[in-house]
Amino acid sequence: METTPRNPARRRLLAGSASALAAAGLGASGIARASDAPAKPAAAAPAAKPAAASTAKPLPPYAAWKDADSVIVHSANTIETRRSAFGDGIITPSRQLYVRNNLPPPDAAILDDRDGWKVEIQGVKQPRTLTVGDLKTLGVESIATVLQCSGNGRGFFPHKPSGTPWEVGAAGCVMWTGVPVRTLVEYLGGLDGTPAFMTGTGGEVLPEGLDPKSLLVERSVPREAMQDAMLAWEMNGEPLSLAHGGPLRLIVPGYTGVNNVKYIKRLAFTAEQSPAKIQQTGYRLTPMDAKPSPDQPSVWAMEPKSWINAPGANGQAVKAGRVVVRGVAFGGMHAVKRVDVSIDGGKTWKQAALIGPDLGKYAWRQFALPVELTAGQHMLVSRVEDTQGNVQVENRFENAPGYINSSWRDHGLAINVS
Amino acid sequence: MQSRFFKPNPASRRLIGRRTRNLCAAGLSLIAGATAWAAEPPNAEAGRALFLKSTTPACAVCHTLADAGAAGTIGPNLDELKPDANRVTQAVRNGIGVMPAFEALSDADVQALAQYVSGATGAQ
Repeated sequence: METTPRNPARRRLLAGSASALAAAGLGASGIARASDAPAKPAAAAPAAKPAAASTAKPLPPYAAWKDADSVIVHSANTIETRRSAFGDGIITPSRQLYVRNNLPPPDAAILDDRDGWKVEIQGVKQPRTLTVGDLKTLGVESIATVLQCSGNGRGFFPHKPSGTPWEVGAAGCVMWTGVPVRTLVEYLGGLDGTPAFMTGTGGEVLPEGLDPKSLLVERSVPREAMQDAMLAWEMNGEPLSLAHGGPLRLIVPGYTGVNNVKYIKRLAFTAEQSPAKIQQTGYRLTPMDAKPSPDQPSVWAMEPKSWINAPGANGQAVKAGRVVVRGVAFGGMHAVKRVDVSIDGGKTWKQAALIGPDLGKYAWRQFALPVELTAGQHMLVSRVEDTQGNVQVENRFENAPGYINSSWRDHGLAINVS
Repeated sequence: MQSRFFKPNPASRRLIGRRTRNLCAAGLSLIAGATAWAAEPPNAEAGRALFLKSTTPACAVCHTLADAGAAGTIGPNLDELKPDANRVTQAVRNGIGVMPAFEALSDADVQALAQYVSGATGAQ
């Protein structure tokens, strides 16, 4: 049964400025582009392990512990999980999880005394600086969230935006442990007034002599996000690694990766968004051919999105007959209600089963659907609907920097069955 | 007799020549695609100067580029990334990730920078 989708991309667009709407040019060209096949169908890759090892970049030292066979190293600060490496468990193993650092990580020496790491809390009635050791005395919770880079799926934008051409693998489902921000705020006497934003500042070392605003990793999100946010010191049951923001990281469930500030040294409740470039003009849904501007929507909440990881990802052989199509699906801000799968590129759909335990609305769900595949080419696609009736968009929302690609069509898996 | 108002000035001629050439290149790109310009030798000297000191912050503060003797480690290593001219242009104009947009640069400067970086890394 086809429900009437509440289209998040459209909603977001309407929420943006009128000029953005006018400049976005979501007319015929956008639709025509969107009907293109994925830029690089997996079936086009050679059999066995693609991306020849001879040309593969080495893992950078701070992430040397990652499983090299499971990832694609785009650069020292951008490492993607291979589509074929996603397993059927819900939690993405840390060794396979993608990495995206906006700046090089700080010296590993900051992990020598994890409990001694300091974070300044501002915008509360009793502002003060606390150590991780202090935070551990306040409370503890665990939460599973989808961690997804804002640019995941950028590789499917036909205009080849600058930035890493991620396909599906700048995402994972991760278990975080730390203190809820609301517990911390309560401990410090509550918010001072009604600040509109929660602002996190990263502890990366900036080059000397520069205006800090030009490179500082400081992100603001709407204050409401504090309700489920956390200051985390553990990931997947282990002390938080340097690669993923240890010793302390701000987790903002439902928001894209950049908003989950690593090496957090300051958490402030502020009336205005951060003056840092990364907030003012960075990570904006800039219309095609427009300049980035603070009046364009900021890259914040994630949207309903799903994709298929098996069978046949990265050119793995698929034999005709019965196979189980598997993938991941999430709602962004709301829980997954259902996932439908098509093996004919979206002409006909069947509802897939959600497998494994439900780890909450911010986690992803694994799904599976047994199908009979005949020999030849097939385009496998999936489409998720959340509990609010929001359906994964068919076509990407065109934007110059290539953020938040949630298109089910772009994320189709082209396979060659023999 | 040569008027003092029209005394040849090699420096300004060079500058005008560069600007004109870059504007022409921009036009060609629009009409025939970037490949029309790719056959021409890029103005490496001007591009290198821009890369090393004419932007704020300078490209070289954050990026490694052997041709310019730059060894910044904040942003991607351009010798490894090998961005084409289009990618450089987009990054400089609009920023990407933590890299800010360089709004003060003229079209000609962006063009020169894009040609220089893509040429120096062999991406062109």
